[in-house]
Amino acid sequence: MSYENVIELRDLQRYYQMGAETVKALDGVDLEIKRGEYISIVGPSGSGKTTLFNLVGGLDKPTKGSVFIDGVDISQLDAYELAWLRCRKIGYIFQSFNLIQVLTALENVSLPTVFAGTPHDEGLKKAEKLLDQVGLGERLHHRPTELSAGQQQRVAIARALANDPSIILADEPTGNLDLNTGMEIIDLLHGLNKMRGLTLVAATHDLKMIKASDRIVWMRDGMVEKVERG
Amino acid sequence: MSDQWYEMNEEAPRRVQFTLMDAVRLGHEYIRRRLDRSLINIASIALGLSFYTTMVISDLLYSTSARLGGGQVAVESYQYWLVAVALVVSIVGITNAMLIAVYERYREIGTMKCLGALDKHIVLLFLVESFYQGLLGGLIGFTLGLASAMVITGFAAGFDIVLYAPKLSLLSIFAGSVSLATALSMVATLYPAWRASKLNPVEALRYEL
Repeated sequence: MSYENVIELRDLQRYYQMGAETVKALDGVDLEIKRGEYISIVGPSGSGKTTLFNLVGGLDKPTKGSVFIDGVDISQLDAYELAWLRCRKIGYIFQSFNLIQVLTALENVSLPTVFAGTPHDEGLKKAEKLLDQVGLGERLHHRPTELSAGQQQRVAIARALANDPSIILADEPTGNLDLNTGMEIIDLLHGLNKMRGLTLVAATHDLKMIKASDRIVWMRDGMVEKVERG
Repeated sequence: MSDQWYEMNEEAPRRVQFTLMDAVRLGHEYIRRRLDRSLINIASIALGLSFYTTMVISDLLYSTSARLGGGQVAVESYQYWLVAVALVVSIVGITNAMLIAVYERYREIGTMKCLGALDKHIVLLFLVESFYQGLLGGLIGFTLGLASAMVITGFAAGFDIVLYAPKLSLLSIFAGSVSLATALSMVATLYPAWRASKLNPVEALRYEL
């Protein structure tokens, strides 16, 4: 069976204690994201975008409320199940790429398949195919330092796809890229979203990225201000 | 976990994996491509250990010489205290170098957790690296120690005395020294590895060196 809503947020709250003060990074967010949707999360810095990203990705625990991924409340998962969720269900893309510097593009992309228990050769073959798909078929054995920023982000995208996740979480994926490279990355992500039916959730400032999305979630002070159709 | 979860992923195993083989493969790459950092640890363990093997082998060679009718010379017991101090110093050195390695790799550790690594996988990776370093340091240290023991005892007992030393004793000193080096290196890495494994991925990813 398949869930219409791949991600559901119910009264999601995340407070931080800063000395005597309680900072409400997220203050009651309700949101439903359908399978295959492309959502942009927009808001000024400090509006709770990254906190939301971390909670949906199972990297952080909510103070109150719940995150449902495919109908499962992920705060109920133990460390093993959470690791499995991060490994198989969710692909992460970061502003600063976060590639492993000592590994080649090919090894970076195949790393998630190691945790998924894919046989070594099979993982490498898959990584090669993915790198080819993101246009880096000629750069398999280059290390991150030998690649341009745009190419590094392509490697990161290929890595995010390595275990065929249903959700891609992208935190400012074009934030460190110039205009044209950013455009190419947006096209790539958009294409993956449409062709593979991937659910794409992107926190972004980038207007071009916002324009391409199905829905835009505007955040302010830890709350959803408004939701617009793209 | 709810039943739906299982239904949706019937074919897939629900546990992440990271076998010893995976850790060895990855650890090998880390050492090969960050050789400068590893060399500090290898040198530290090699120096500490060479001091130890010098003493133990000298002792063996002196007693061999005495057995063959040569003069009675022995390694003084206080020298073993010095050996113990040298080994402790090399443990502290490795712990320090590994802690720095953990700081350098903050973001990588956070990234690996995002990709599905469990705490124990991070510990395993660091321990595999320290095993490698300990093994290499042990082999180098033993070689250095053997050479210096032969030089030290050479003047009193003759430079060919090593040929008369019982082979089995030499072999057991070799095995003992290399195991000692490997064990010390891994003990020194336990704390840094534990620190690394407990990193919160959110904070680790935000960390700027």
